[in-house]
Amino acid sequence: MKNKTTLPWVFLTPAMVVLAVLALVPTVCAIVISFEDRELSRPDGNFVGFDNYLALFSDRRFVNAITVSLSWEVITVGFTMLIAVGLGILLFECVSPRTRNILAVLFIVPVILPRVSAAFVWKFAFHPLYGIATYPYKAITGQPLDLLSNPLTALGTVALVDVWQWGLFFSVIVLKLLETLPPQPFEAARLDHARAWEVYAYVALPMLKAPLISLAFVKMIESLRAFDLIYVMTRGGPGISTETLDMYAFSQGFIESGRISYASGMAVLMMIATSIAFTVIWKRAKI
Amino acid sequence: MSRRSTGRLVGRAVLFLAALSAVFPAFWTALNAFKNRVDIVTPTPLFIFTPTLDNFAYVLGRDSVFDGLFNSLVTSGAAVVIGAVLGLPAAYAIARYPNRWSKDIQFFVLSLRFLPPVAIAIPLMVIWLQLELYDTRLSLIITYTLLTLATVVWLSVPAFARVPKEVEEAARVDGYSSYAIFFLIAVPIASRSLIGAVAFAFVLVWNEFLIALMLTTSDAKTLPIVASELTQLGRDVPWGILNASVVLLSIPPLLFIGVLSGMLNSAFKRKSS
Repeated sequence: MKNKTTLPWVFLTPAMVVLAVLALVPTVCAIVISFEDRELSRPDGNFVGFDNYLALFSDRRFVNAITVSLSWEVITVGFTMLIAVGLGILLFECVSPRTRNILAVLFIVPVILPRVSAAFVWKFAFHPLYGIATYPYKAITGQPLDLLSNPLTALGTVALVDVWQWGLFFSVIVLKLLETLPPQPFEAARLDHARAWEVYAYVALPMLKAPLISLAFVKMIESLRAFDLIYVMTRGGPGISTETLDMYAFSQGFIESGRISYASGMAVLMMIATSIAFTVIWKRAKI
Repeated sequence: MSRRSTGRLVGRAVLFLAALSAVFPAFWTALNAFKNRVDIVTPTPLFIFTPTLDNFAYVLGRDSVFDGLFNSLVTSGAAVVIGAVLGLPAAYAIARYPNRWSKDIQFFVLSLRFLPPVAIAIPLMVIWLQLELYDTRLSLIITYTLLTLATVVWLSVPAFARVPKEVEEAARVDGYSSYAIFFLIAVPIASRSLIGAVAFAFVLVWNEFLIALMLTTSDAKTLPIVASELTQLGRDVPWGILNASVVLLSIPPLLFIGVLSGMLNSAFKRKSS
């Protein structure tokens, strides 16, 4: 703009100062605390160097939490993307634009629900005696089905809720992405007698490779926050079979021992992992 | 019947099932909220029953739920208002007056959206304890402002960028100052997308759980925390009451579904043109 104006400074400064203070103070504080031996019962801590980090790597529960978090990532990101692409293509291919729009609104209902609500709704649906999702099994076999108390199925059952929320939502985004594609390549492929699935596998999806990869990255970061679902549905149990990193950090810092510094060490490691993933997305999105 | 139309039929059936799975759980929960306990605790799920308002009456009459509702409304509301008042002008400045830091500012703002909540909740708990503001609505509002402000800025930059530049230039020629252009031209034109951005920020903090769980213990507990405590009750679970409180918690975000899906539509439509 030609004429000098104070607007950019007046408009930007307050927001940026507030954001910087609110973001940097806790971040720096988290790093500082992670080098101390603070506990909830004791307000002051001593500097202990890398002790917390070293202790973490010989902590079997921490290693378990990493494994659980990694399986959670793989399951939720993988199935979310599969469902999203599958349903997105079906929305684009099988129904009229009118129906499409109605379905698109219905498909974002799960993700708008508070996660506590979603977790409770499904926890009750999977209730071994009164649940509506376990009812068919019970009616046929006469046995109750308790998926959330079984270490083998608990994580998958909670993941189902996450995929239910995000897979349906992302299918709407995939639909919108398909709608932005030019129609000519589709027509050309059809003239060559390509089958419907071939058109998508060889024409449409390769054209959407970049945004789909970005979506997967967004889901990866979002999946790091499994806490609300797991807290309400299993609290990390049975045993520690669904104890993810944030669940373990929470129980170390608050429930069991109040080891704030130890929990902070875990939080810092999660922050580093997230920052790396986020920087990669940002770089990709710019290309 | 050709192969193609069979495939289409199967596809429609799959979509129908997916839509059912999206809506039925919420519908079922709402139904259970109107049931007496004996109608919920049945060997076979009941669709026909005598409805009752007892659950809602109980939930709304309980101090903990009522306080949670009040705390949620105050903290989410205040954080969203602060986020909008500071965030909308900042987003406009980024969209209309780019400088050499604009890219970095956007990177910074978006990266905040991706901070693991547990990583900021632990140090903030220590900070609020030391300032003797722990478990107060004020500390929760300030913490939530981080989320709402970052979200509002992030979503409003593209909204302001879509306002036709010519309109603003014309206003400038007519002698409007840059501030007048923001308030009288840019905000009204972009208002639909801006409302979407603010609504999104509201849903985000209304649904927020982990930070509220760590930063409150009794006085400032928000509705998600109160609802989750109800779900952890022991043996004699008051299922009807639970369902009613979940319904209460879910209504505000669902009210915004139209606004949010409209925002999704406009975000993608403009990209293609």
